[in-house]
Amino acid sequence: MNAVEVTKLGKIYPGGVEAVKSIDFEVAVGEVFGLLGPNGAGKSTTVGMLTTTIEPTSGSARLGGFDVATEPLAARRVSSVVFQEPVVDRSLSGRRNLEIHGRLWAVDPREADARIAELTGMLGLGELVDRPVGSYSGGERRRLEIARALVSQPRVLFLDEPTVGLDPRIRTELLEVIASLRDRTEMTVMLTTHYLDEAERLCDRVGIIHAGRIVALATPTALLAQFGRQLVELRVDGDVNGVLLSLREHGVAGRDAFAVGSRVTVPLHETSSSKAIAAIHELGLTGAISAREPTLDDVYLRLTGDSLAAAA
Amino acid sequence: MSTTEIAFPARQARPRSVGPLATLARRRFELTARTPRELVVPLLTPIMFALVIAPALRTALHTDPGYESFIAIGTVGLLIPLNTMFSGLGVIVDRVSGAQRELLTAPIPRYLLVLGNLLVVLAITALQVGVLIAVALARGIDLHATASGIAWFVGAGVLFTVGMYGMAEILANRVPRQEEYIARVPAIAILPWFLAGALFPITALPGFLTWVAKFLPLTHGLALMRYGLSGDGSGLHAIWGMTDPTPMAALSLAVVGGFALLLTAASIRVFSRSAVQ
Repeated sequence: MNAVEVTKLGKIYPGGVEAVKSIDFEVAVGEVFGLLGPNGAGKSTTVGMLTTTIEPTSGSARLGGFDVATEPLAARRVSSVVFQEPVVDRSLSGRRNLEIHGRLWAVDPREADARIAELTGMLGLGELVDRPVGSYSGGERRRLEIARALVSQPRVLFLDEPTVGLDPRIRTELLEVIASLRDRTEMTVMLTTHYLDEAERLCDRVGIIHAGRIVALATPTALLAQFGRQLVELRVDGDVNGVLLSLREHGVAGRDAFAVGSRVTVPLHETSSSKAIAAIHELGLTGAISAREPTLDDVYLRLTGDSLAAAA
Repeated sequence: MSTTEIAFPARQARPRSVGPLATLARRRFELTARTPRELVVPLLTPIMFALVIAPALRTALHTDPGYESFIAIGTVGLLIPLNTMFSGLGVIVDRVSGAQRELLTAPIPRYLLVLGNLLVVLAITALQVGVLIAVALARGIDLHATASGIAWFVGAGVLFTVGMYGMAEILANRVPRQEEYIARVPAIAILPWFLAGALFPITALPGFLTWVAKFLPLTHGLALMRYGLSGDGSGLHAIWGMTDPTPMAALSLAVVGGFALLLTAASIRVFSRSAVQ
């Protein structure tokens, strides 16, 4: 049995906005699954439907085998969420926030106390935990929210843009924490992000969601493999789509080349970067040219960038 | 930040039935206790009324001492709506900057969130009404309460509080911001008070307003509370026109009970619908 099973799940908000369009995916037990996409792609709506705060208008979803529409209490019992925005009782202490979660998820109070002690130690909250949450910094509050979600030992943990708005140091620390969860538990983690390095570092598989549809679903390695071993990037002053077309017409770029902003990216499958750069120079195209290895960023931009439609 | 390893057993406990409500009520109480505004502000106006305005009215209008007793109980009809409506602000704070979303993902029926708030509102209202009655007694106001009279008073007070909190929950889940909520409070909490026989018998109102007053739950609540605490059945008689106060009290209690039931059911429905998109 998979930890998360999503079948033809869709959401149309009142007013007709179709935020999620019949998506399908599964997340195996113990897997870290990343849902990537730009703002408004449907990531948070998907998490909202899985955590029963948004009602699907079509399809179904199961958490730990429980249907989120017909068995919402059971589905919520096996899951926890760390929200994108702070969702805490600021006037209460960190410890009370953690205790309340434990009580509502029916964790034995003595067991909850032990877990709170472990988690606050692990997340560096030991000295803060008895202070009102309103006095916490953004990073401290986010760590508290992660600790809170873990008090109930969820089988499925949702992290909705967990590092948004955090400074680089705190972000790095949190990524270490999330990575360590993956290494030492059988917890299934589903995270949404638009930081590609997070997905590359943490996720076993990623789904890229764009305009409510999942446009790619594979391991980061498999997604990168479609770009070949190297790519050439050309910065263009002027008609970027014209340059892309010209590169395709002259056989320098294939169908998978794409343009975003002033940048044309050309994946190289059977030719070397030096040959590709020489061919670009021969065409008389000007601008900064560089060669590098592809990243998940390139996959993401190709699938979700504004120029995708024009280039397709 | 250390990265000490911890073990996560796979066992999942099942939630108990009573625990979550107690947890939610305790949470709400702790939040309220940290917001003195919600405890003190609703009490200011009624106490000012009981201590200053009522004696001044009695002097100015040359009424008998019984009028102060009339006003003291009438003031409860202001305290309960003000207190319940101020409590509704906590619902908005929870939604906008509190932990409501976390609570919505908890494995508990969502109506418990409304009931948890309600329990705290009932406790705080009881405390405030107690303070108000104590202040009135300290001023020498004469009340003639029997055990059954106190039961009528408590029944009316509890059911009216439940109904008014239902109103507050509905409003808090319908308006997006505190400013808009507060702007509506006078129309809901204060306007009916002028018509419900708090300051004068409803028979003193123009004819059509007397009829309007008979449909206000507050009119029934105040008439019951006066009957309970001071043995004055004139309010019930003004509503029902019967002679035996007991059936009239039972009828008015049914009206206030229906109000409580209807508004509580509606508030749970509105909360559940607004909590889920």
